[in-house]
Amino acid sequence: MKAFLLSLLLVPALVLAQAPVIEISGANFRPLPLAAPAPVVQDGADKKTAQTFDTAFTYDLAASGIFQVLDRAGFTADAKEGMTAGSINFSRWADVGAESLVKVSLAQDGGALRGELRLFSVATGHEDLKVAKDAPANEPRQLAHALADALYRHFTREASPFLSRITYVRKAGANRDVFVADWDGMNAQALTKGGTHILPTLSPSGQVAFTSYRKNRPDIYVQTPGSEAKPLVTDGQMATGVAYSPDGKRIAYALAEGESAQIYIAAADGSGAKAITDTPYGLNTSPTWSPDGKRIAFVSNRGGSPQVYVMGADGSGVKRLTFQGNYNQTPDWSPRGDLIAFTARDERNAFDLFTVNVDTGKVTRLTQDQGNNEEPTFSPNGRLIMFSSNRIGGAHLFVMTSDGNNQLPLPMEKGNWLTPDWGSAPAAK
Amino acid sequence: MGMGGGKGGGGRTTMSEINVTPMVDVMLVLLIIFMVTAPLIQQGVKVNLPETKAAPVEAAEKKVVLSIDAGRKVYIGDAEVPLEELETKLAANAKAQADKEVYLHADRDVPYGVVVEVMAAAQRAGIANVGMITEPAPGGKTSNSGKAPAAPSGKGKPKEAKR
Repeated sequence: MKAFLLSLLLVPALVLAQAPVIEISGANFRPLPLAAPAPVVQDGADKKTAQTFDTAFTYDLAASGIFQVLDRAGFTADAKEGMTAGSINFSRWADVGAESLVKVSLAQDGGALRGELRLFSVATGHEDLKVAKDAPANEPRQLAHALADALYRHFTREASPFLSRITYVRKAGANRDVFVADWDGMNAQALTKGGTHILPTLSPSGQVAFTSYRKNRPDIYVQTPGSEAKPLVTDGQMATGVAYSPDGKRIAYALAEGESAQIYIAAADGSGAKAITDTPYGLNTSPTWSPDGKRIAFVSNRGGSPQVYVMGADGSGVKRLTFQGNYNQTPDWSPRGDLIAFTARDERNAFDLFTVNVDTGKVTRLTQDQGNNEEPTFSPNGRLIMFSSNRIGGAHLFVMTSDGNNQLPLPMEKGNWLTPDWGSAPAAK
Repeated sequence: MGMGGGKGGGGRTTMSEINVTPMVDVMLVLLIIFMVTAPLIQQGVKVNLPETKAAPVEAAEKKVVLSIDAGRKVYIGDAEVPLEELETKLAANAKAQADKEVYLHADRDVPYGVVVEVMAAAQRAGIANVGMITEPAPGGKTSNSGKAPAAPSGKGKPKEAKR
């Protein structure tokens, strides 16, 4: 099944020496076998810090979908091997199947943690990349994401998702609270404390808009982490599920009016709201913007069952996109533009994730036979999809490549984590 | 195991039998052995190889080479590995696991039992094929056809090289 899914392809750049690997789509994708030994801890850095760094760094690489991070249990290199090409016995790295070797050393100087990363081609012994980054000494995860980002950029020439932020809901008892966190779900910060707050979404500027029942009906609020929530759409009707346009200047949301719900567009501050759907009895919900901001995909039951539709951002040219199954919901438009991920309920009443190609209508299944999988959200570069799944009990957040491969749980504690939304831009930290 | 049908009614019964000739090699049920002669292997530890008249197998890719030196020390490539860690190391070795194949490079003075222990560790690590590296016998005629002729001693069953 997976073999049929669209996948990424790493093509070693031809002839041009030192050129990094370029990533393109293709069926012959093979993750790059990468050896990443534990970081070398130099004077001043403590082992616990190094371990935290290492866990975050290797998780980033493993979840990226472009590397096969080799099992350290198989390594045969001398544990005291150095950081420079001259001191590395490359044949030992070749013997364990590595094509690239990434070495990191950590040093602490006062309040700063410095990480130096060197990437080597095992076949040639050439040092392909050398980069150093600093982070506060108590933020080794931040340093890990920055160095993993440098490595990802080297191979793909794209920004990684490792510096981006996510928002999600934690269900605990009767409460639903909104959190923001690093891309891997760690370093989480609660925005609300108690009550029912759902469907959070990150604006390109890092604000979080969410639906809140603090007045016993759904209203939309917006909050900057560290400050109080402000009303965004609270005009007395039931407003849910806000989505920011890619430039952050507009919002789309659903407003229930009696028997129906319509999609509205407004400025980012909630002003100038205007309905762009007009179906007397149907429900229109869950808007998501195309990356150029010109179109909106949404869910409508105007055809009898909830299906994904696409229209212009002014409501023109409505076109039904999905025809399979009888219950499709929570669409998320890829920042690459080509795909819309969505949740579908199948005949066994299980929820699974699919993508539909916007141009061709081709539907691709991403999950199967692993519990319920819901609420897909694309990474800012479109290469990964995060979702909520109950496959390991409760509800946990998972990440996979956009073709459904390499499904990994986020390294956060177990809990009831729901409705993730992946921010569209790296946070300005 | 016969699958004869009926009890002789009419005398026209169908017999379909599978005749399985048991493979004799102790411990080597899954190990398909073929011969690789030394000149193809440039890496590894210096060992005094047994000489055979087996023709070289054409090795298109470099495989993981296990070596056992005269002192019975075991190596992966040129890295010494305690025998008790060999299984773990091979099970986690992406290269060995990619094609489930390694080459074994054992000194001629190493007892057969030690070689078998190493092969058994490899087998437990999921390695299906172990290629035995030997030295061409002096004056021994070897063809370069890439095919191994029948083993002179009958020990092991030379297999046609895949490449």
